[in-house]
Amino acid sequence: MSGLRDRLAGTLDRLVDASPLERLLISVASLVFALVLGAVLIFVSGFVATCNSPVVFIPGVGYGCYNPIEVYSTMLQGAFGSPISLGQTLQETTLLLFTGLSVAVAFRAGLFNIGTQGQMVLGALATAVTVLWLGPFVPNNAIGTIVVIPAGIAAGAVVGGFWGMIPGVMKAYADAHEVITTIMLNFIATAIAFYLVNNHVGDPSSDSVLTETIPAVAQFPAAIDGSRFSFFALGAGLLVAIGITLLYTQTVIGYELRTSGIQETAAEYSGVNAERNIVTSMTLSGALGGVAGAMYVMMAQYRWQTGIPSLGFDGIAVSILAGNNPIGIIPTSLLFGTLKSGSLAINLSLGVPTELVEVIQGLIILFIAMPEFFRLIGKRSGFGSDTPATSGGEQA
Amino acid sequence: MSADDESADGARPGAAAVHMDGITKRFPGVVANDDIDFAVDRGTVHALVGENGAGKTTLMNVLYGLYEPTEGSVRIDGVRHEFDGPSDAMDAGIGMIHQHFMLVDTMTVAENVVLGNEPTKWGGFATDRAQAIEETKALAERYGFDLDPTAQIDEISIGEQQRVEILKALYRGAEILILDEPTAVLTPQEVEGLFDILEELIAEGKTIIFITHKLGEALEAADEISVLRDGKLVGTVSSAAASQEELARMMVGRDVLLDLEKPAAQRGDPILEVEEMSVEDDRGVTAVSDVDFAVHEGEVFGIAGVDGNGQSELIEAITGLHQPSSGTITFDGSQITTASRSDRIGMGMAYIAEDRQKRSLVMDYDLRRNGLLGCQRLPEFSNGFRIDWESTEEYVDDVIDEYDVRPPDPSADAHSFSGGNQQKFIVGREFERDPSLVVASQPTRGVDIGSIEFIHDRLLDLRADGTAILLVSSKLDEVRQLSDRLAVMHDGEIVAVVDPDAVSEEELGLLMAGEQPAGITAESARVRGGESA
Repeated sequence: MSGLRDRLAGTLDRLVDASPLERLLISVASLVFALVLGAVLIFVSGFVATCNSPVVFIPGVGYGCYNPIEVYSTMLQGAFGSPISLGQTLQETTLLLFTGLSVAVAFRAGLFNIGTQGQMVLGALATAVTVLWLGPFVPNNAIGTIVVIPAGIAAGAVVGGFWGMIPGVMKAYADAHEVITTIMLNFIATAIAFYLVNNHVGDPSSDSVLTETIPAVAQFPAAIDGSRFSFFALGAGLLVAIGITLLYTQTVIGYELRTSGIQETAAEYSGVNAERNIVTSMTLSGALGGVAGAMYVMMAQYRWQTGIPSLGFDGIAVSILAGNNPIGIIPTSLLFGTLKSGSLAINLSLGVPTELVEVIQGLIILFIAMPEFFRLIGKRSGFGSDTPATSGGEQA
Repeated sequence: MSADDESADGARPGAAAVHMDGITKRFPGVVANDDIDFAVDRGTVHALVGENGAGKTTLMNVLYGLYEPTEGSVRIDGVRHEFDGPSDAMDAGIGMIHQHFMLVDTMTVAENVVLGNEPTKWGGFATDRAQAIEETKALAERYGFDLDPTAQIDEISIGEQQRVEILKALYRGAEILILDEPTAVLTPQEVEGLFDILEELIAEGKTIIFITHKLGEALEAADEISVLRDGKLVGTVSSAAASQEELARMMVGRDVLLDLEKPAAQRGDPILEVEEMSVEDDRGVTAVSDVDFAVHEGEVFGIAGVDGNGQSELIEAITGLHQPSSGTITFDGSQITTASRSDRIGMGMAYIAEDRQKRSLVMDYDLRRNGLLGCQRLPEFSNGFRIDWESTEEYVDDVIDEYDVRPPDPSADAHSFSGGNQQKFIVGREFERDPSLVVASQPTRGVDIGSIEFIHDRLLDLRADGTAILLVSSKLDEVRQLSDRLAVMHDGEIVAVVDPDAVSEEELGLLMAGEQPAGITAESARVRGGESA
């Protein structure tokens, strides 16, 4: 019993102390392992499914419907096989990049923002309302676009930032835990947006809860025919990722936010107002969630409508998977974008049920995220290199 | 269930209740316990005294199973144990009462006592509250505790909460009780009550170890006293044969330091003036009351005292980490009572914090980033927005070079350095930016002798350059040798300001214990008079 415990504790120690290269290797190995396990799962499920053209027959067992290699190749095809599917993948990637960065900014400052979803929903609505209002005042050409799109992004950022600031203030000055408040504010955000669109800013000619289509000047110029993906949006996301990296490595405020997150007592020693930093971090995080909403409206949906996908929640996984490193979020959002658009194709062209596709997706995320997750937990629970007791402190 | 029956249960007759043999506990850069042999006889009260950081809590955490010792073994009643965690230690009859209580505020006394070992009914489906109350009541009566089992925790006093903690340990069958600084949170009357309880427990055959740094209490309540210093056991004495002076000497050690070349002070204008300042700690208890003093250019103003007599709160108020509840602080001619910490840094206040791993360093940052800690908004290091990494690196290289930080690797993380090298780095970072006031709190705690000498020399260099230095240390030798004037703190007050060359160690020891030795009053009056002149 105790031998097992020691070994587990030792593994956790090693995981916490792992170098960046080791962590990358762990992630790649996890991906391979998840794909292999997924393949087995797909293959086995094929024997309980019914289909017209089985791919394999095993005497005594029966007909198998799914060929794992075909499933994976269809997934890759679906993600990258045509310009349109590539556009779909990159569009998902762009949106996840923003929500992932939103989560990462808070995480770096020691805060867990579960509220990116709500910040995105309200930011998206602010963007839609702003560009719908602004549309008639600007010329219907490139100049109009140069005015309207930044205005739409700014509106999303301001409202999302405000929605992120609320749990920040509650955390800093009333000790309300941000995990609880941000989750609750997600519901409130969705309800407020629904109410506003349903009663005040919605499209009166429609029975559904949605706004009018935003004017063409507010739509990101599409890069690929048949897809709404825009290189401008992706480029903006990459710039933000670089910007956040610079913020944390080159600027005083970034240094202070990060120090507050890593070791609050030392941050206080260095003259940082930890409370104000909490509000700042949450506002910044919320603003990025709002920008994700703006991108969603101006690149993906061209309007606000209920049932906004859970990009904000996916952003949590994207960020954790990247170890909350802004540059690391670029590949992880691409991975998630690929899974999202690729799995759609598996269902459509192979008839593999969406539930099974989600299981495969879940496996990949779980396998890659778990080592990082345990690393994070291990670090917080004091594994890794031992640290001595501060006298009089609570150790139990 | 008499004490005799229990001691017969698997115990070897005549063996000590607790026997820790050759315990060594190493953390990266620190040897917290160094080959400690520690034994406690059954049915006795044993006090464990020593400065903060001497290794008392670490040793007890080893006993309680929270830490695995690097070397050494633990025997309970002569039987060897290897604890994997506190629950193993509890099974072996060890209970620990932490300084900060671990009770559920919204539950009753009885519910807290049985928590984790609840009596059940309906075949284990429900907690039998009636029985819990009954058992708690019986237990409290047996040990003479005055407690209402149905009272809610947040409605009873701190002293009563402590009794609940003790009951909780007894309920789980503890034979050996460890109390970590049990008197720190109590009023004097509650302390007396606690000592009565300890007597009661001893009469019932229990064994008690309590951690303290208050020597008077150790002498009053304990049968034997073990003194730890810098992770080593200095000695174990019988309280009947020991005196406060002797214990103080064992605790702080002497003849450790070489004599310093200290030229006469070139005292200038006052830089820091503290007037009628009081500070409350986080619990709202007055930690510093009505303190008055000034620190001048070119002098070292020392503050001596047993740890926990308000020094930490005083320092945090001066450095801007804690708001005083009343009084004023003036720095370099301007009122800074409510100024932010970063304003104080900007005005030239350097600060060596007492807990370097918590405050003065970010353990997961390399030295380069740590060199920026506290300096990040100073014009030499940034324009307020963008960090000037180039000059930061130069600065860090200078500090590493000038202060002999080893290994001289600015990209190594702080936690990979030894305590002495960490401290040399902090001292260098704080001193090299040319401060007008240095607040140094325990600047040589847990630091090797070579580094101690080095840090002392640098402090005196700054003093020769006209810097004002406020030095707090629980090492008597250190404050006596370095200080030009020495204040003694006891129970939140400055009880005397003395000339460190004219006062004996014995007299200081008495002052630290809150007593007024003959002749000192006149002495302090002389020095105080000199100050105002």
